[in-house]
Amino acid sequence: MGFDLAFAASSLPTILGAIGTTLTVALVSCIGAAAIGFLFEMVRRAGGIAGLTVGFVIDFIRSTPVLAWLYFLYFVLPFYGVRLGSMTVGVMGLSLYYSGYLAEVFKAGIDAIPKGQPEAARALSLRRRDAVIYVIVPQMLRNIAAPLGNYFVSILKATPYLAVLAVPEMLGRAFDIASETYRYAEPLSVAAFIFLALALVISQGVKQLERWLLARG
Amino acid sequence: MLAQPETMVGIEGLNKWFGALHVLNGIDLDVASGARVVVCGPSGSGKSTLIRCINGLESYQEGTLRLAGTTLGLNARETAAARRQTGMVFQSFNLFPHLTVLSNCTLALRRVAGRSRSEAEDIAMAHLERVRIPEKARSYPGQLSGGQQQRVAIARALCLNPRIMLFDEPTSALDPEMIKEVLDVMVALARDGMTMVCVTHEMGFAREVADQVVFMDGGRILDRAPACDFFGASGHPRSRLFLETILKH
Repeated sequence: MGFDLAFAASSLPTILGAIGTTLTVALVSCIGAAAIGFLFEMVRRAGGIAGLTVGFVIDFIRSTPVLAWLYFLYFVLPFYGVRLGSMTVGVMGLSLYYSGYLAEVFKAGIDAIPKGQPEAARALSLRRRDAVIYVIVPQMLRNIAAPLGNYFVSILKATPYLAVLAVPEMLGRAFDIASETYRYAEPLSVAAFIFLALALVISQGVKQLERWLLARG
Repeated sequence: MLAQPETMVGIEGLNKWFGALHVLNGIDLDVASGARVVVCGPSGSGKSTLIRCINGLESYQEGTLRLAGTTLGLNARETAAARRQTGMVFQSFNLFPHLTVLSNCTLALRRVAGRSRSEAEDIAMAHLERVRIPEKARSYPGQLSGGQQQRVAIARALCLNPRIMLFDEPTSALDPEMIKEVLDVMVALARDGMTMVCVTHEMGFAREVADQVVFMDGGRILDRAPACDFFGASGHPRSRLFLETILKH
């Protein structure tokens, strides 16, 4: 049984039909993970009991499998009356899981900012919130553009986990075709190549963004 | 009869420890409005810590520090309000590298003083002209020499119209040929009547503008004198030794 290019081509429309779902899940999860991760890092940095607790939560998240989070949100929460759609659960699961990793990335990015920068902001009487928005975050982003891009690619590549929740994303579609036709190589390869293409686009975009950020100053 | 000049900074019995290190040991210092005080001393003497206490960047454990009538460290809001009367210039400039020279100057005007963009830019440009660098307004700090960056940092600190300027070794990170352009700006500022506290080893500057030179070592003020006396023969033996060492170069 060789690789049938014609069959691969015929599976392409069905698999591509799911690209919207894959990209939506990936994009919303990236935003969610970045937002939660940044919040985590801000609370952890502030210290105190809340900071210690969040530090523990970050370690806990990073030490557990992402599938455990998806199963937990999907199958356990309904026992407590929380019923969410499979897309919502998928996005929540990926966002929470990767927020733990992104918090670490943000930490590294902030730690690399010279101590004199927040001091100058204080000396200029900037409020803490303004110092974060106008002084810390822009410099943090310059420091972490590359690892941040890597995690965005990771999130994209993690979207097939949502197959366990029956979210119709690309790899799941490819596997459906394979199950129906008993031809695995073609649809799975097609899906893999689309992921490859998307990952290349994201990492190129991040490279351009990094160049643009560093060109200034 | 002349009115007594207002006390801008009043420090009494100031003590500060970093862990076991007694970094400020019973400091008393008054800076009158319009006065220009130069603080010198060997590294580790506590002079930078002292100047950083004046605008509340560092806290202290004992004594009192009054800035423009407010005792620092009692109330966060009052401390913040008092800090707005100060401008600070750092040894390493600490310009924001991701912002243009102009945006470095307008950030606090817009976010702290609540000025509009055009108002803020007008004020910032006026101060950039004052430090003779208006042509670099659209450049980023990384594109400037050290001396240019430090002049921008002075302009940035002046934008909020401070009543006292604090300089923490402003020329120590500069190549020798750039020191003069920064000192010239500081001398001009002194001539305009700005109250200044400068941590510096630039004794030429001290001689030219200082009313009072303070010599610190080991967290204490060992010697304080009008500039003319400090450079004369009457000083404390420890400060004489220090002067001889640095003036040899």
